[in-house]
Amino acid sequence: MSGEAIERFECFGGWCAVRVGDPDQEAAQRAARWARRTLLDAHATLSRFDPESELSRLNRDPRPEVPASLLLRRTVAAALTAGLRSGGLVDASLVEEIEAAGYAESRDFDGGRAADGAPLPHPAAPSPRAGWCGFSVNESAGTVNRPPGVRLDPGGIAKGLMADLVGEALADFPTFAVDCCGDLRVGGTAARPRAILVDDPTGGPALYQLRIADGAVATSGITRRSWTGEDGRPAHQILDPATGEPAFTGIVQATAVAPSGLLAETLAKAALLSGPAHAEEHLPFGGVLVTEDGAVLLVDALGAPPLPQVLAR
Amino acid sequence: MDPIEKRELKRQAWMRLAAQRRRAGRLRGRVVAISLVCFALLWAVVFAQMATGNDPVLSAKEKATTTRTMATAKSEVETTDPRELETERAAAQAQAREEEAAETEAEPVEEEVEAVESEAEFEEAEPEIAEEEAVESEPLVTSQS
Repeated sequence: MSGEAIERFECFGGWCAVRVGDPDQEAAQRAARWARRTLLDAHATLSRFDPESELSRLNRDPRPEVPASLLLRRTVAAALTAGLRSGGLVDASLVEEIEAAGYAESRDFDGGRAADGAPLPHPAAPSPRAGWCGFSVNESAGTVNRPPGVRLDPGGIAKGLMADLVGEALADFPTFAVDCCGDLRVGGTAARPRAILVDDPTGGPALYQLRIADGAVATSGITRRSWTGEDGRPAHQILDPATGEPAFTGIVQATAVAPSGLLAETLAKAALLSGPAHAEEHLPFGGVLVTEDGAVLLVDALGAPPLPQVLAR
Repeated sequence: MDPIEKRELKRQAWMRLAAQRRRAGRLRGRVVAISLVCFALLWAVVFAQMATGNDPVLSAKEKATTTRTMATAKSEVETTDPRELETERAAAQAQAREEEAAETEAEPVEEEVEAVESEAEFEEAEPEIAEEEAVESEPLVTSQS
């Protein structure tokens, strides 16, 4: 194969890319363009920062049962799946809390300072309120149900979900890769492994290289989308559901491998929120953890000892 | 038959009947006890086997399939060691030569042809492995989303 059709574009508050490989270059390019349109449409539907997006309209709607598009229904279902799979650690209902932390609208980040002056690390815990449990989907009626006032912020869940949905549509091509701001879904009928680099949270050279033929990888961290709060303390977008404040668990970045983008995103976030003592339990398909002191821990995919393996940078 | 003798015979008959019933009861009890012991024993063996992680359903073939699926589906963290490939190839060639030698005693000419063909197949195998390698494109980067 001579090469892949590539589309790169801004979406979901970052950069997305789609790569499609096929002997018929034109078909590959058409598919990549379709994927781009699909992701941009999804962004328009699911943006928390656009008051006219369907998500914002849902969050404002005073009715307990709100008609919703298929994509929004799938997103709500994905948020429920993430909450269930992580035991409540991945909570998509913390909108008030993220706004209070200083992320009410699209903003600039002064990444890399989150760990400086951060409180003592401790594992996050589920919220006793568990707002995400109030959401449900009625497929036959085409509606989303939730107590009025409970808002949804799918965040990374939407990126993982969209990587899966676009990946499913491209599955019949020999090779494809969907990159939703770092949440990756790769595959294709040729089943050829693809090199995936794990980014350094401090901006240095890549920490590790994975080789995946069919599957997904997602990374969650507290150093890139981070800022200094009004109180002068470091803040970021990964919240501890129990306190509603930015979580400092001792892990600054978690990368998870999984069969699907949604699961990878969920596992990465759950691993980060669990702290170093329990992070491995959330990485059954393997992953890479970076701790506060800069150590890089590799969690083996097959779970065979010795784990974790400390890698030399 | 006088009444005393008659009563005695009746008593003996009753005694025999009672003994027969007792024997049948004993036999029934033994059958039940043996069945229970056998069941418990079998159950304990299966339980012990499962508890120690030796599920017989997971035969060597099943394990290989599971492992392969996991590895393919997810983090194949670096893979083919060229030295291992070389060792495997050398072993296979040695085995092929042995078989060839054994068969040559019977049919020397055909064997040589087959051996040459088999060697040629080996030579051709290497490029196929190389072709299986990663997608040729700029590596993807997973970063904080």
